[in-house]
Amino acid sequence: MAAIAPAESANKGRSDLLAYATLSIISIFCAIPFFWVLLASLDGDAQLFLRWPAQWTLSNYARVFLTEDGAKWLFNSLLVVGGATLLVMILAGLGGYALSRTRASWKLPLLYAILLVRVLPPTALVVPLYKVLLTLNNVEATFLRSLFGETARPIMRWTGFIDGYLGIILVLAAMQLPLALWIMKTFFDGLPRDYEEAALMDGASLLQRIRRVLIPLALPGLTAAGLFAFMAAWGDFLLPLIFLSSPELQTLPLGLFRAFLRVNTIDYGLLAALAFIYLLPAVIAFGFARRFLVQTFAGGVKG
Amino acid sequence: MGRNLHEQRVERQLLIVLLPSLALLSAFVIYPALYSVYLSFTNEALVGPGALAPRLVGLRNYARLFNDTKFWNSLLVTFVFVLGSAVIGQFVLGLVCAMALRRPIRLRRIFSSIILLPNAAPEVVAGFMWISMLSGGEHATLSRIVAAFGVEPADWLNTFPLAMIIVVNTWRGIATAMILLTAGLSTIPSEIYEAARMDGATPQQMFRRITLPLMMPTILLYMLISAVSTIAVFGLVYALTRGGPGGATELVSIYIYNQSFAAYQLGYGAAVAVIVLIIALLLGVGYVKAMKVEI
Repeated sequence: MAAIAPAESANKGRSDLLAYATLSIISIFCAIPFFWVLLASLDGDAQLFLRWPAQWTLSNYARVFLTEDGAKWLFNSLLVVGGATLLVMILAGLGGYALSRTRASWKLPLLYAILLVRVLPPTALVVPLYKVLLTLNNVEATFLRSLFGETARPIMRWTGFIDGYLGIILVLAAMQLPLALWIMKTFFDGLPRDYEEAALMDGASLLQRIRRVLIPLALPGLTAAGLFAFMAAWGDFLLPLIFLSSPELQTLPLGLFRAFLRVNTIDYGLLAALAFIYLLPAVIAFGFARRFLVQTFAGGVKG
Repeated sequence: MGRNLHEQRVERQLLIVLLPSLALLSAFVIYPALYSVYLSFTNEALVGPGALAPRLVGLRNYARLFNDTKFWNSLLVTFVFVLGSAVIGQFVLGLVCAMALRRPIRLRRIFSSIILLPNAAPEVVAGFMWISMLSGGEHATLSRIVAAFGVEPADWLNTFPLAMIIVVNTWRGIATAMILLTAGLSTIPSEIYEAARMDGATPQQMFRRITLPLMMPTILLYMLISAVSTIAVFGLVYALTRGGPGGATELVSIYIYNQSFAAYQLGYGAAVAVIVLIIALLLGVGYVKAMKVEI
């Protein structure tokens, strides 16, 4: 190794110092808002501004579950986002495999179409989507009421398209599907065909091939696709705002938003505790997704 | 011949496993996108006569939109928002972070974890955290920080609403820019820098003559991705300001929401949505080209 001239090493030390300084400032900028949520959620007399708690307490967290419907919101969020994530993983696993392996003429147009679908902003789609789901919902309600009469109402809570679990799961899944399909297609592109061809030679059927060969091989790709779908759907506010209205179906973002709107009785400790509960699964998922971040984005760069 | 038949069978099976995805995307994305064009020519509404018997009204929604100062305002706000946060804020800070983190310094993992954190915060939580940073006058966290530099405290979110949502969205998106630009930087071979250093190039010269030109494809792709995703931002700003005060932060996404679900004018909301879809598709065509799809 060549010796470094003293002037050059001083120069290097100075740029390292500059790097430390910039990164420290940007990190403080990134981290400060999180300190407030954490500290205020543990403060018995929380305020809207950042401060060291006057008295440490867990009562804010207790109140989220005892005086508010925190448990219900958490359950709804987990059910709805979990359902959408599972659906995305199944559809993208199968679809991504097909997109990677097919030699048909529709392959390239379809890949372009999926990229284009990905850029359509959900905010511009919700208006027509609301009309579509409203129509489907009315048809379903009429049908169910003719069959079950008044008992149709609780069924609609699960299977309804507007203000029902099924509708929001399908909508959330549809919005996350294009990226997931792309991740899985890229993943299968990098997977050698030898295993499948061996299985094919052994006369395995499509289902056997999927179960014994593809699912085990595709697990890393499916994990990445699932994590990204989960994070995006978990953090989304627009879709539950528009497609859920009854209190029994409220999810965490709606609960947090509406609790904040109760202007005259703002309880910052409670809000911060609720925000922290809502934040935690997202941060955990992000921690797991970290090692896929570069791959997913870099894969985007290379195509 | 047998080989060919077999291949046909495989292709059919592949199409079958792809069909559920295509069905979901057609029903919930593509059909609604096309349907919004139809809706934009009707007086469809959630209440009143438009709800009972919607009819075609020709170009009336578009004529109204053309003369609607609130619509033009929302487009302008969106443009400044995208320019300030995605094109300038996130890009500059993301590039600075990516270049600083390339150096073999200690604590790299900790720095990058902290910078990634805002990206994980759900929209409403991010908005709520920033309300605490910006509201509360002299007690607000931002007021106390800038007080150290002799700046007067202010009601930030009401006095500088657009600048503040740009700051917040920059905060949220540094990570995306950093990741993409890091990937781009890593494709530049270090020999080029070595050679330039031998020739006595200064760091500024190397940045302008080597880093920037070689990064151009990555930068272009980043700009397209972040522009498209920034146009779609809704929850973060809605939780912070709900478009106020006085429309100062009414992004076009918030305008669509207000027209459709607060004023119940679905037909008119759809006309605004069509304009946004056209803008997104134009950017999307550039994005598809920049991706250089491999089959």
